[in-house]
Amino acid sequence: MLAFSSASADGASSTGELVPFSSEARATAVFPLHHGLKPPISRLSISWARGNSLRVSFFRKPSGDDSDGDEFGGKVLEVRLSGGDGDMSDAQFRRIAYGSVSPFALLQSRRNSAVSLSKISSPYHVEWWEYVMEYSKDINSLLSDPKSLTSPAIEDPKAVLQKAEEPICLKAAWDVMEIFYADKQSQSWLPERLVDWLAAYNGLLSSTQATIHSQLISFQKELVTLQVIEDSPKYWEVLSAALAVGWLDVVVKMLRLHGSYQLDQIGNRETENGLVEAVAVLISKMPRLRPELQAGTLGECHRAKPDFIKAWEKWRAHITKLDCSAYWVRCDHDQTRKGLRNMLQIMLGNTNSLCTATCHWMELYIAHFLYIRPFTVGLESMYSLARKCMQLKPMTISHRLIQLLLGIIGDNTEVVLAECSRAFGPWMVAHAIELLASGSDQAETLLREEHYNLGGISIEELHRLVYAQVLSSDALTWQIAPIYLTSCIKQGMGLLEILLSKQPVQDVQILLKIAGVYHWKHGRKGSGVFWLQQARDEVRLNRIAQQLFDFVGQSISDESFKQWEGLIELLGSESKTAGGLEFLHKYRDFKKSLKQVNDGKTTDAAQQAVESLISLMKNPSTPQQFWLPILYDSLKLLSCQERPLLNVSETNLLLNKLQELSMAKLRPDFIEADLPPQALGSVRLALATNLGRAIVEE
Amino acid sequence: MAVIGTALPDPPRIHRIPQSKYVDAVRWLPQFSAFDRFVVLALFDSSSDSPSSIEIHSLDTQAVTLSSQSTWAPPSRVSSLKTSQLPGRKPLIAAGTVSGSLHLLLANSVDASLESEFSVSEEELHVGRVSCVDVMEGGGEFVSVGEDGRVNLVSVAGSELSFRRFFDSQGLVSYTSAKWASPAEFVTGGYGFSLQWWDQRKPGGVASQLKGNWAQRMSGIVQSIDIHPSRKHTCLAGGSLGTVFAWDLRWQQQPIILSGIGVGEDGTHPACESEVWEVQYDRHTKSTNTGNISSSRVLPAMICSEDGILAVVEQDAEPIELLAEPCAINSFDIDRENPSDVICSLEWESIVLLTRP
Repeated sequence: MLAFSSASADGASSTGELVPFSSEARATAVFPLHHGLKPPISRLSISWARGNSLRVSFFRKPSGDDSDGDEFGGKVLEVRLSGGDGDMSDAQFRRIAYGSVSPFALLQSRRNSAVSLSKISSPYHVEWWEYVMEYSKDINSLLSDPKSLTSPAIEDPKAVLQKAEEPICLKAAWDVMEIFYADKQSQSWLPERLVDWLAAYNGLLSSTQATIHSQLISFQKELVTLQVIEDSPKYWEVLSAALAVGWLDVVVKMLRLHGSYQLDQIGNRETENGLVEAVAVLISKMPRLRPELQAGTLGECHRAKPDFIKAWEKWRAHITKLDCSAYWVRCDHDQTRKGLRNMLQIMLGNTNSLCTATCHWMELYIAHFLYIRPFTVGLESMYSLARKCMQLKPMTISHRLIQLLLGIIGDNTEVVLAECSRAFGPWMVAHAIELLASGSDQAETLLREEHYNLGGISIEELHRLVYAQVLSSDALTWQIAPIYLTSCIKQGMGLLEILLSKQPVQDVQILLKIAGVYHWKHGRKGSGVFWLQQARDEVRLNRIAQQLFDFVGQSISDESFKQWEGLIELLGSESKTAGGLEFLHKYRDFKKSLKQVNDGKTTDAAQQAVESLISLMKNPSTPQQFWLPILYDSLKLLSCQERPLLNVSETNLLLNKLQELSMAKLRPDFIEADLPPQALGSVRLALATNLGRAIVEE
Repeated sequence: MAVIGTALPDPPRIHRIPQSKYVDAVRWLPQFSAFDRFVVLALFDSSSDSPSSIEIHSLDTQAVTLSSQSTWAPPSRVSSLKTSQLPGRKPLIAAGTVSGSLHLLLANSVDASLESEFSVSEEELHVGRVSCVDVMEGGGEFVSVGEDGRVNLVSVAGSELSFRRFFDSQGLVSYTSAKWASPAEFVTGGYGFSLQWWDQRKPGGVASQLKGNWAQRMSGIVQSIDIHPSRKHTCLAGGSLGTVFAWDLRWQQQPIILSGIGVGEDGTHPACESEVWEVQYDRHTKSTNTGNISSSRVLPAMICSEDGILAVVEQDAEPIELLAEPCAINSFDIDRENPSDVICSLEWESIVLLTRP
């Protein structure tokens, strides 16, 4: 669920109403909000604020008596909703959310096609785990810190710890899930995978207790001030600790800092130096049961078990031989002798030495894998070994990574799920379920079957729904939520509808209409017309046409048509999308040809003008208020000197219109055109003359 | 399907650089030195106290990282961002905002630090957002257009900006994009796939406008236009429904459609099917039809789209897809000095740098 935190408040709670069944499934968490107002609070208002935060406004009832002077009217708090992982910024969370969409969608589509191909309930053919592994690797790559460290050009000879990128808890958790559930190839060398895992994330395990990593860091700081390194007891402590957890490179590098290597001393410390080098060589030859080692790291890999056993026995024999060597007596430096022999004991798997060398039980656990039980297989034996180590090194505070690991090696899917959810948040659960489900058939059944107490949906679907809810609470990520919702068979579509209806508009047509009206009201007539045309909203187009005509009536002269040109072009010649506005188009054409006539152009132009005139007057969409101005503008056409341009029926049409106009004049809503008073008379006279001439002509 | 970039003999190298804010626009900043590369970002972060910013970042081409050099906070979110150079090769950034103000930033030609800023405040220039601002080659004059239907010409006069309203359609026509064609002419685009050609020597209205007979097809909005300096008579436009077309002033009857839904009777496919957010002539891609470089042929152009496609389209040829992202590509810019390098901004708060071989 959502975790709440705030600068000004402790937090608030949500019962997650988008997931309707959660109220019974878990207890509602209550986080008090400290607003600092005296009761009574009369009103409370909650709304979204910037980004992923809620704005909670408290209004205090105005008190009748003005007894206390420092009375506030109310207070507004911003409550930040974080994704659950405290050590991650919102931007980092969003980056992971964006990046995980593609791998998630790819895996879903692969599953769908696998199911439809095989037509069986379990789509797990041989390559399936390879798909899961690819998915896991893709997600894993997202969790690295984007600020990768560049290695310094000149290596510091005294830097014992390699600088690596800052580890992130979430990545450590994903890694351990990948090791146990997704990576089937690593099953045969699980202990070595855990050695690597601890080497990468040891520093995360505890912030209060000491770890080998923290010991190394503090020793690194001391190193600069140390004159004779081998005299320091800390040097030997750190050496054996690092050896116990198998950080061979660090150990060998530190051994070579031993004073006996210095040129001025090598002469009189020859034996001592020989012993140090012998130990260093043995360490760097340690056999490991794993297919490969990272380039540049020490140890010898053995893929097959028999090879490894042979090498292991041989290596142990060398150590025992060295341990019994007579040279120790000739070593003058007391600390060196003790320190080196303790290291040999660690390599021989002496339980006491291992226990003293390590801090955390997990470190002791790893040391067991390395030096006592390199063949540990099966979760059961791993779990009992973990119990044993925990008894030897009890934890004060249990880290979330440790809880998760215990759930995994305890082979308890429910615990793993709960730990993922509690400690790492909705993103982790929604995505890690893919790994969990590929771990075993039982786990898959548990996660994918429908549960009655979850309202008939599966655990997998529940967690996808929860994650989708988190996504939809942020303005930048809500567009991703549908991808997760569409993968939810039961409730996904319903919630998708709710999500979309919560967005400002649910329908494209309505969106277009709103956009159109919005632009129109803000004086952007062109955009308004465009959007209404797109919405095919004839009613509104007709209504705004009326307004436009009033505007035209005032402003259209031959000159101002330039302003209208663009709009008329936008309307296009197709009348069906323009509503009443198509009149403007015809009117413009008419005006244009009339202008050519006035400019003394040919009779072609005059004929065209007449055609426009007739089509305008025939068209029912031509507003009545324009009839007289149009006719008055056409006076020149009507009284053409050479020959009558209008035939009898055309002239009759115009005369009828004029008659209609005279009748309409009596109605109260008639709009008087802004024309000279004799306009009507002169048009009537011209029409009558034209009619006479046309009759003669015919 | 279009030819996917990765199937090309030499696919471009792609580097992703995540940001922690929404990237509204990205541009290369022209530079004096060939060794220092700078990009300008218009960013928006709703959870910050000053949500909008224009940032100049230096690009480390070895490690492919961006590091912020300088920042300037505009009064509101940036709606249009352009870069250019003044005659002394001084880099210049022009930005229009959603509240209608226009800003010019002059940067140092060596380290790209911001040196001076000129503004025309909101309400004066446009009512509502500035849809597009374009800088004349050489940086002498700027054109700004808006949905309010105003076409403004802005120039630097002494220590401040002066502007004159070249045309005002009173909102009857809204403009969404603008581009200079010559020191006297510029083109604007808008709703209904309209294009207008303006000439400063013929004030008072458009000199010419496109009469595309869009009625048979779905109409849409021109989102971006470009004009090639060697083909000043042809205007390239991109907009809704994956439509990319060219309008040749000498053959005004019909636009030449390069890509779009329903085009391709000759067997070519549209590069994308959603809103084309930006178009630019691609000086890097050589025309496939080298034997026939007549001046009536439209040069290759790059587009980016809402459905996450960055592609090169050419007349009568299959589009070449350079990038297919799961989220929208909001803007891109081809480096003027190194046309093989393209930078683009993705909706999911990141920048992608493409280096073509």
